[in-house]
Amino acid sequence: VSALVSARRVSPGDLVGRYAIFFVLALVLLAAVLVSDAFLQPTYIGNMLRQVAPVGIAAIGVTFVMILGGVDLSVGAVISLTSVLCAVFMNGDPANMPVAIALACLAGLTIGVANGFAVAFTRASPFILTLGTGIMVLGLTQIYSGGTARGIVSPGFREFFNARIGGVLPVLAVAFLLLAALGLAIQRYTLFGRYLFLIGSNPRAAYLSGLPVAQVTVAAYGLSGLFGAIGGLALLARSGVSNTLSGQGFEFQVLAAVVLGGTTFQGGRGGIGGTVAGALVLVMAFNLVIISGLPYHLQLVVMGAIIILASAAYGRLGGMSG
Amino acid sequence: MALAAAGSRRAFESYAIWLLLAVTMTAAAGGIPAFRHPENIANLLRQSSVLGLLAVGQTFVIAAGMIDLSVGVVAGLVVVLSCWILAAGVAPEIVVLAGMLALGTGIGVFNGFLLNLLRIHPLILTFGMLSVIQGLIFTLTDRSIGRASPLLQDLANGSMLGVPQAALLLLAVVVVFHIVLTRTRFGHHLLAVGGNAESARRAGINVSRVRLACFAVSGFCAALGGLLLAGRLGTGYPLAGSGLELDAIVAVVLGGTALSGGRASIVGAIGGVLVLAIISNALNLLEVSAFVQMFVKGAIVVAAILVNQPRSEP
Repeated sequence: VSALVSARRVSPGDLVGRYAIFFVLALVLLAAVLVSDAFLQPTYIGNMLRQVAPVGIAAIGVTFVMILGGVDLSVGAVISLTSVLCAVFMNGDPANMPVAIALACLAGLTIGVANGFAVAFTRASPFILTLGTGIMVLGLTQIYSGGTARGIVSPGFREFFNARIGGVLPVLAVAFLLLAALGLAIQRYTLFGRYLFLIGSNPRAAYLSGLPVAQVTVAAYGLSGLFGAIGGLALLARSGVSNTLSGQGFEFQVLAAVVLGGTTFQGGRGGIGGTVAGALVLVMAFNLVIISGLPYHLQLVVMGAIIILASAAYGRLGGMSG
Repeated sequence: MALAAAGSRRAFESYAIWLLLAVTMTAAAGGIPAFRHPENIANLLRQSSVLGLLAVGQTFVIAAGMIDLSVGVVAGLVVVLSCWILAAGVAPEIVVLAGMLALGTGIGVFNGFLLNLLRIHPLILTFGMLSVIQGLIFTLTDRSIGRASPLLQDLANGSMLGVPQAALLLLAVVVVFHIVLTRTRFGHHLLAVGGNAESARRAGINVSRVRLACFAVSGFCAALGGLLLAGRLGTGYPLAGSGLELDAIVAVVLGGTALSGGRASIVGAIGGVLVLAIISNALNLLEVSAFVQMFVKGAIVVAAILVNQPRSEP
């Protein structure tokens, strides 16, 4: 397997594509520093990491699915559902925290596995399918919460994750980096990670070679749901209040971060490292929009343009073969 | 044998939507007395007209093997812009209406142009455009602005000889585009492109131009739907069109158009629109909460996508 993968790495276009996002990250950082020297202050960097944590964590899970050649647009709804669910079960008591967190993760995992089964055992388009399950989950969330903020976050939950280690780095930012490291380890050092790339680059060949395509598909979507749930917990930890629509539109940011990081819609390429860099570029671009005094909603325009242009750029680099 | 089986399955698929429509209509009319009220039926037809227009455009795009997720926000943009400009009274109404149709068509042409230039998947392209246009709408306004003109309100809510004018407008559009799809060279070319783009190219069809034209039709229909929606709402509500793109796709899929392209029915898509409208109307009459309706809507999307799968090997 390793010989196969290293042979695939020879193409110069692929090599450029692999590291392009890190050059972009450096360029955006340089531009940001020129606009405001706040971008060099450790506290501000810590704040940006905390700000991007919910999107970044969810994007780790979606990266697995997109390496496989699929996509998961239900993450926004999963984030909303799990943060409401967790707040309701916490009910303002620290003793309820473990149960609430476990239930939220279980809910996300269940939705992901359901998506995975639907994708693995049918030929339905995952794009439309997960848009549909996203609406179902959003409906469930609204039914459950009654359409308003419901549940009370346990005291200490928000405080713990927003505390700054050494007065600089918020715990939530560290949690994001640790989860990214975990994702990277799964992608690099497990059989599952290898299978993702092999199936994503040629599903038919993978199936004929006897790879467990269905199991890997279910596992990847399950992980996407689980990481979505942890993203929901991160959002709850960041804000400290439950909101029935908190994750609305997050699927756009998540997709933008993943695509920007070099994991293409065609599958078989990219990885978690690129996704984390993509998420950082995204949050810096947003902060630049705000600092420059541009209207807040131009963020959506920037994000849409990034999704389109990054897809096109990586498509060119990969010679349309990927 | 196999060919005959495939033929009869295809025949069943083109009739399945009418069976589904008959069942939902019978169930709604039989179970809910208020459903049968003529005023409710007229209202149902008015509601269906907006989605129907979007579904006609979406049929063209899907038939050519693509998809357009930007139609909802294009309609939303037209709602906000037309109400804003009409209320400001800076231009004659006919110019504003023509300008809105040109804007929608222009966005469609731009989509097609970007698709041909960048060669990315239409799903990703139009998903990105959805975000861009939504951002532009919110930058313009985050609350309802302007007012629809009396002409638009009358078009959307009035009746002619007892039939809602909106339904008559949809009927006219359906007739024209049904003829375009089934009786013109462009229609045959787009089905060829949707069936197999490479074969179509080798047969001498200008694939890029066909794709661009499909997006132009979709943008035009979305803008027309947006004008009708503006008349119904009476004001420029910035979230007016959100989510309509999925409804349109589901209606088209329910109507027997293959998501993989190459097979299409505009009349079937209208059947799909009516099924969705009847279900929504019945749930409203039964006073089912909006949240449960949202769940049902998602379930219909999932069910439709699972039923309509490409049959060939990947």
